[in-house]
Amino acid sequence: MTILYDEGQQAIATESRRVLEARISKDSLLPLLESVGGYHRPFWDTAKEQGWTALALPEAHDGLGLGLVELGLIAHQAGRSLSGAPFLTTNFGAAKAIELYGNAEQQARWLPGLASGDTIGAVAIASGPSALPTQPTVTVTNYSIDGSKKGVVGALFADVAIVLANGPGMLALELVELRDVARVAVNSFDNSRCYADLDFSAAPSETLVVGAAAREAALHILALQAVVTAHEQTGGAEVLMEIARDYALTRRAFGQPIGAFQSVKHRIAELYGLVELARANCIHAASREGAADFITAAAAARLSATEAYDTAARDCVQIHGGIGVTWDLGLHLHMRRARSLAIEQGSSLFWEDVLVDRLTGEAA
Amino acid sequence: MSDLEAYRAKAATWLESMAPTYGREARKGLAEADDLALGRRYQKAKFDAGFAGINWPTEYGGQGLGHLEKVTFDAEEMKHGFPNFYFGISLGMPVPVLMQFGSDRDFVKERVLKALQGEEIWCQLFSEPSGGSDLAGLRTKAEPDGNGWKINGQKVWTSWAHYSDYGVIVVRTDPTVPKHKGLTYFWVDMKAPGVTVRPIKLAGGDSHVNEVFFDDVKISDDHRMSPVGGGFAVAITTLMIERYVATDSAGFGPHLDLFVDLAKDTLLNGKPAIEDGRIRQQIARNYAMRSGLDSINVRARLMMQAGMIPGAEGSLNKLVAVRSRQKLSELAIDLQGSGGFAFDEHASQKEDWASSWINAPTGRIAGGSDETLLNTIAEKVLGLPQDYRPDKGIPFNQIPA
Repeated sequence: MTILYDEGQQAIATESRRVLEARISKDSLLPLLESVGGYHRPFWDTAKEQGWTALALPEAHDGLGLGLVELGLIAHQAGRSLSGAPFLTTNFGAAKAIELYGNAEQQARWLPGLASGDTIGAVAIASGPSALPTQPTVTVTNYSIDGSKKGVVGALFADVAIVLANGPGMLALELVELRDVARVAVNSFDNSRCYADLDFSAAPSETLVVGAAAREAALHILALQAVVTAHEQTGGAEVLMEIARDYALTRRAFGQPIGAFQSVKHRIAELYGLVELARANCIHAASREGAADFITAAAAARLSATEAYDTAARDCVQIHGGIGVTWDLGLHLHMRRARSLAIEQGSSLFWEDVLVDRLTGEAA
Repeated sequence: MSDLEAYRAKAATWLESMAPTYGREARKGLAEADDLALGRRYQKAKFDAGFAGINWPTEYGGQGLGHLEKVTFDAEEMKHGFPNFYFGISLGMPVPVLMQFGSDRDFVKERVLKALQGEEIWCQLFSEPSGGSDLAGLRTKAEPDGNGWKINGQKVWTSWAHYSDYGVIVVRTDPTVPKHKGLTYFWVDMKAPGVTVRPIKLAGGDSHVNEVFFDDVKISDDHRMSPVGGGFAVAITTLMIERYVATDSAGFGPHLDLFVDLAKDTLLNGKPAIEDGRIRQQIARNYAMRSGLDSINVRARLMMQAGMIPGAEGSLNKLVAVRSRQKLSELAIDLQGSGGFAFDEHASQKEDWASSWINAPTGRIAGGSDETLLNTIAEKVLGLPQDYRPDKGIPFNQIPA
């Protein structure tokens, strides 16, 4: 697939940006930080209404049959506007797992709802510090799952979860309906992500893949989600660079705009470099879905996007000085989001190892 | 296969056939004079095979093809370590400018053909002791002298001046107007009386740059390639000629694979270095950075193929790649410990970590320093204000020294 966006793809970017900028403002996002158990409903309603939830899912199951490139474009705009809920990524991950590893019955049961957005999916692969654990903290025996997964993104409202578990002597990737599963909301620094601890107690569980293939499948799902998240991070970094630039043009000190000082203008120029490297890696990774080097490309996108968003959050606040750390200005929304996205789907520490394993030929 | 891919394949085949005679291995151990002689023969072979002046007009000995073919050929050529750098500046900037602005067309044609065949080399006389980044602050002057001009002053960092037959030069012809407005662009004969070339030995031990002194060097007015006072615009044209050249995400240092191989072969505190988190992090970070640059370059090429103008992100390569190469080279030397002291000043910067390290600062300064590039991005791309410039709008001869 080419890495030049065609007209249709450019229209997706333009239209999603227009809609999101009209419907999301920091004033609706700030209160969400101070309560647990809420997300920005207008954002999710917009995603459903615009068909973004269906975008990258197969047409046979009510999807639109597009792919990572198009979903990435939406995620980029969502990153710019600060998405008010995590479900675009979590639904995509859960749906891809069911599409790729589920049977026809599971696909028919779950995919149409995930495509419409009426069903919410979650992906619970990590166990604490391990993004892709060899010994998960949950165990499945005889179609029944026990144990807990901490801080699962979106899990507070999820109807179904993809869970990496210990199976009989080997890893297993499981499909678990969450209706009767106990969940405890996490009071986090970014509450609209709807993090929850899932406590499984003899919950019915269906096996998708076992053994080494389960690990490979889990990594593939993580990589697919990571590419979406990387686009979102790049969008966040891009808008912070623009905010910093605009402020440096208007704020004056010592008789000139602060953007005339090299310590400030070079900082913003460096952000431009980080954003463009992340964007280039994102476009490349999205175009490599299904190719042999997809994991490598996803890791590179993830690493550069995390660096771009974290650095942009740090530097944009610094350039603003005192006003930058106020609650009302809301730059901390991006600071928080940069960190929450940096951890979801595995931190840089995880992806660095994945990447080097691939480069040295040591990957399983 | 697209036309461009067919062209790439044709170029690759020819280049491979040339590698045993002119490539990296053939050059090992050659003294510079012999290497230059080999380079001239290689340039002639390129000309004869139809790979010289790829995107130049056919009437000047070029091939009349596009920029894409040129970049495609250059990317393939880079793989073999041919002795082509003696002609890089010459054919990259001064000769194209001569083609565009030279007034005596017969003279121009003769020079271009000789340069394309490696017989003559041109240099570019821009930087001076008093200013590199501040090009318009130059002090070398040309005064009217009979029907022509008389040049006095000094240039510096002039690549390959010691081998050059001709040069293009920017000089001050009017010190009473603001600095950008008093400059004029000429060509000069580097063998003319009064031109003295003195090589500068650089930190890494080699001497490809020079000081060039002009003492009452007389030239006729047909050497002039810009209106009097209009030299700065031509100088900027020179610098903008090839915005999208074949780039190297390794920053013209070693490929990342060489670092991975080193880490695999090295024991660090009794354990393989490739298992060390600090080493792994640097490999991963450098890979992500380089793959981003590669993707930017591929996208730029596709855009040009589609008739679009690539974005400004192409300007990031030199800034990002060279300083990363500098740090990675330090780490590679760290990895070798006391085995890393060995130094061969003739080793290739693309294969040897010590050579890459000691020559990296040159890459961060020459052709636009990191700081200049950051200013360009900030001002031209992001629209941030210019720096405070106390010399702005003031006649050159009234600027406080």
